[in-house]
Amino acid sequence: MAQPALVELKGIQKSFGQVVALGGVDLGLAPREIHGLLGGNGAGKTTLMNVLYGLYRPDAGEIRVRGRPVEIGSPSDAITHGIGMVHQHFLQIGDFSVTQNIVLGTALREFPVLRLDAARRRIAELSGRFGLEVDPKASVEELPMGVRQRVEILKALYRGVDILILDEPTTNLTPQEVDRLFDSLRAMVDQGMSVVFITHKLREVMKVCDRVSVLRDGQHILTAPIGEADEGTLVAGMVGEQVDLRESLLFSGTDLESAPATDESPCLEVTGLSVPGEGGVLAVQEASFQVWPGEILGFAGVAGNGQRELVEALLNIREAAAGRVLLAGEDIRGWSTNAILSHGVAYIPEDRVSDGYLPTVTVAHNLILGSQRSQPYARRGVLAWDHIHRGAAGLIETYNIQTQGPGDLAAYLSGGNVQRLMIARAFSGGGQLLLAHNLTSGLDIPSVESVYDRLLARRAAGLSAVLLSDDLDELLLLCDRIAVLYRGSIAGTLKRPDFDRYQLGRLMSGAIAHG
Amino acid sequence: MADQAVTLQAGAGVRQLRDRLLPYLIAVAAAFAVVGVVIGVMGFNVPRAFTTILFTSFRSPNGLAQTLSKFVPLLLQALAFTLPLAAGKFNIGGEGQLIVGGTAAAAVGILFPDLPQPVLLPLALLAGMIAGALWMLGPAWLLYRFRINEILTTVLMNFVAFELINFASTEIWPDPAAGHPTTVPIGAGAHMPMLLQQPPLHSGLLLALLIAAGAYFFMGRTTFGYELVVTGANPRAARVHGINVRALFFASLLVGGVLAGLSGAIEVTGNYHRLIEGLQSNFLLLGIIIGLIARGNHLALPFVAFFIAVLDVGASALQRTLAIPSEMVFIVMGLILIFVLLSDVIQRRR
Amino acid sequence: MDISDVVGFARLVVLAMVPYTLAAQGTMLAGRTGVFNVAQEGIMLLGASVGFLGAYLFDGLGYGLLLAMIAGGLFGLALSYFTTTLKLDQFVIGLALFFIGLALSTLLYKLFVGVTLEPPIIPTLQRVSVPLLGGLPLLGPILFQHNWMVYASILLSALLYYFLYHTGAGLELRAVGENPKAADSLGVNVAWQRHLASMIGGMLIGLAGAYLPMVYTGAFTAGIARGRGWIAIALAFFGGWTPHWILVGSLFFAAVEVLSLRVQIGDLGLPHQLLRTLPYLATMALMTFAFRGAKQPRFLGLNYDRESRTSR
Repeated sequence: MAQPALVELKGIQKSFGQVVALGGVDLGLAPREIHGLLGGNGAGKTTLMNVLYGLYRPDAGEIRVRGRPVEIGSPSDAITHGIGMVHQHFLQIGDFSVTQNIVLGTALREFPVLRLDAARRRIAELSGRFGLEVDPKASVEELPMGVRQRVEILKALYRGVDILILDEPTTNLTPQEVDRLFDSLRAMVDQGMSVVFITHKLREVMKVCDRVSVLRDGQHILTAPIGEADEGTLVAGMVGEQVDLRESLLFSGTDLESAPATDESPCLEVTGLSVPGEGGVLAVQEASFQVWPGEILGFAGVAGNGQRELVEALLNIREAAAGRVLLAGEDIRGWSTNAILSHGVAYIPEDRVSDGYLPTVTVAHNLILGSQRSQPYARRGVLAWDHIHRGAAGLIETYNIQTQGPGDLAAYLSGGNVQRLMIARAFSGGGQLLLAHNLTSGLDIPSVESVYDRLLARRAAGLSAVLLSDDLDELLLLCDRIAVLYRGSIAGTLKRPDFDRYQLGRLMSGAIAHG
Repeated sequence: MADQAVTLQAGAGVRQLRDRLLPYLIAVAAAFAVVGVVIGVMGFNVPRAFTTILFTSFRSPNGLAQTLSKFVPLLLQALAFTLPLAAGKFNIGGEGQLIVGGTAAAAVGILFPDLPQPVLLPLALLAGMIAGALWMLGPAWLLYRFRINEILTTVLMNFVAFELINFASTEIWPDPAAGHPTTVPIGAGAHMPMLLQQPPLHSGLLLALLIAAGAYFFMGRTTFGYELVVTGANPRAARVHGINVRALFFASLLVGGVLAGLSGAIEVTGNYHRLIEGLQSNFLLLGIIIGLIARGNHLALPFVAFFIAVLDVGASALQRTLAIPSEMVFIVMGLILIFVLLSDVIQRRR
Repeated sequence: MDISDVVGFARLVVLAMVPYTLAAQGTMLAGRTGVFNVAQEGIMLLGASVGFLGAYLFDGLGYGLLLAMIAGGLFGLALSYFTTTLKLDQFVIGLALFFIGLALSTLLYKLFVGVTLEPPIIPTLQRVSVPLLGGLPLLGPILFQHNWMVYASILLSALLYYFLYHTGAGLELRAVGENPKAADSLGVNVAWQRHLASMIGGMLIGLAGAYLPMVYTGAFTAGIARGRGWIAIALAFFGGWTPHWILVGSLFFAAVEVLSLRVQIGDLGLPHQLLRTLPYLATMALMTFAFRGAKQPRFLGLNYDRESRTSR
């Protein structure tokens, strides 16, 4: 392709303290293309695009837009140069309307009263052009994820950007919505835009991109047009030498066997569980399911369909309105969270920043959270710091948590290492049942493999797990059965032999109800 | 958290101690420098002012005794603030709790003046602690049940306490001979045993030091202390992992109330032997400053409290002898706090 | 009790509402960007002291009010600088500023006035009757025959309502307190909004303090604020952080204050100390009811760090 590059990134370096996120990366974006930015977690894809969008300042390197070197010190600068970004986690103000969210930050000089009529008309026009239907007056917090994403995209389009960066846009979409998104992207490119598509999913790249660049460990590995790219090369680029592709769960394509059927009673039995959510509406409606020893049960569903409320009700972090929960045959309704956890349940929450760890104390404090009352860490209310220190050091070693030591402040841990910490805590507690929400969020590919290995080892030892995940691929890979949550009800459950992505997608979007 | 960091990083050598002390020393020096410039510009004698502030406590046995007398309520007020603070809760009601604690102790001492000391004194102190806890009950319950911010509720209770002490000392047990709202004296059995007679120094000092040592052990080495610290670090994560956060908030605030109430009871039984309006002095404010400067380090807390007591004594002397308003010294204290916090920022940047 | 008593009472309430309104609106404005000011009591006392001294030394109430606004603005700016820019904890800095403001207020008075046999007095604010409206029966004396600061606080509340809900700048400001990351990503300057809002908020709080010596006795005393600064915080919550409900709420608190101070002891057979606790107990009671449904800016009290990997 001999076209002059629309955007050129040269030698971009960025470090956070000791951690090198980008070690001199080059990237070129051509006009009218969908350019895939592929790599595992921690590869540096989001960091690189955050630099381009002005959210991060690079330590070194040059950015050229339309042939001229530019300084991008803030998102406003980026927008001035025609660059827009749609983040993985939507940046929207729940109370505001769609229109208000979209126009925020633009010059709003209507006087004396702000009416936004012209803005609404423009939004409607853009909606139609790119196939992104929204109701300009609706309040954003009431909208489903797929529509909220359209609002995010319209935010950029409204500002007249012609370079659009999308960060893992398919995370919260059903397979059908993903297809619709891809159609919209094609429409954008046909009308003269360029798109950078950040993802860790090879399948998506192959489906919608024109070219693909692979990043790994903050380095640029390769760039190739899709027609010429061979999947194996791309995968090798993503994982490098760290993972033996033949042994890899993610890439070798071998299928796991289902857990054998068992006569034992379920280790978790939930009947008619209803949990209230925001604003008096039931977030979980009469959910019933069982988990057998040695089984991995997955919960699929777009985020916000009751997953969090379900797990929190099981642990009594949130009060259930109705229903019965039997843990190893015992009715745990009314038990304290501490009692439930001590009874053999381990929990890895979804939101690690708010629920998972304590940044202002040490790594050791974090690692014993939940076990602080039991031996060997404490005896009769008094802590044994030497045992704690030793135990923590051991976990740091085993689970490969990158930190200076148990006494180091947890705030210095990167996202991936916080996840490893949470996994270390949950897996070492020795429980019958693991409840994990987005188990491998933020982990790079070798770590993901390692966690999957441990999980399967647990399964082989007869322990169970409930995995809630946004990532359908992960569930399809690991679970024996997958239940789909839609609007708080279990829309259907599929057994491993019957796994079908599009069937699950239909259940996830409420298109059908499966018995 | 700072306490536990100390124990974790076992083998903290002299160099580590110096590294940690240095920011505090620089902060103190800088605060004095700033205020020194100001009072110099106003025409006062700066070196004399400094020596008055810093050394009045040590110039006479009386000065030292006075400093130690102030040290007791300051230390307890600081603890009443820092223990809930570990869990992330702000107890700004220390003076109200002090007042009701003193009132309760005085009540016991006035109503049962003939009981022997081994009975009356503990009873009075106990009454003070219970009163302090009760005074905290409202705000703690509002927090527990309705999640209402405790900063406001504890502070409002202070104002209510002011009216209470006024009522008690002018209507219930007033001493008609006094020119200022004061009660009649408490029975001799409620007096604190004295460590020294001349200059007067009561054994509340021992009690306070004991409690401070207990707090240090408790915070650094017990499971309960761990749960407090962890709750303060991230209440939501603590909750999710089984800690009963709301009960912890409640308990930590009550403990704060107990200690503040005790400080009032000690003032009445050890210092004044009666209830006197204004006995809360500026202990709450200074206690908060001490707590904030010490920043979670319960080993350092008594030292910071002593230093502030020295400064407080120096402040009155400053006004008396050099006619420089005592508030200058409070500005110094405020600046020390700001500079200590700034040193945090600088260390972060490295 | 006849009609003139009621009118008299209502007049006093409107007069008393001003410091609550101003301080609470100042709290609200900063709070809407996420800056939770808890130093109000200190800033109000400082404003009272500086306002008094300015009026006394330069012979004009206007000078005092101006100086009080400057002092309050500086404290507001300090709050946002230490928290937004240096990322220190908002409550800790708020308490430190409360302490310093308190000390400064007494310090300055002692330095410039010192100890005197008769405390110096400044003239109080003049009553200005609104043309036409001032002549109305009942409403006239209650609402339209006051000093200009009363009118100013009411107009200010209206202005804030209009600003927050009907202008683009108001939309941006509200966004900063709801989701600073979203606002930042769209080019809104979060730090600027916080500095500006906190500064103006501080100015209003300083003004509220200056009003106190200028309205009743003309003298400055040490505890002149009597907890109004703290109550202003509760008022901001009670008003749902909206200017119109804050105005309504401040009338309520003013009424409680007037009641507690003016009702004669003999009338009720209750000790006057108990009556004086009324404002504080009422505040707590009100908070219990108001908090249930109250909305507050989502990022109230939280600092925002664009490059932070540990913030929301």
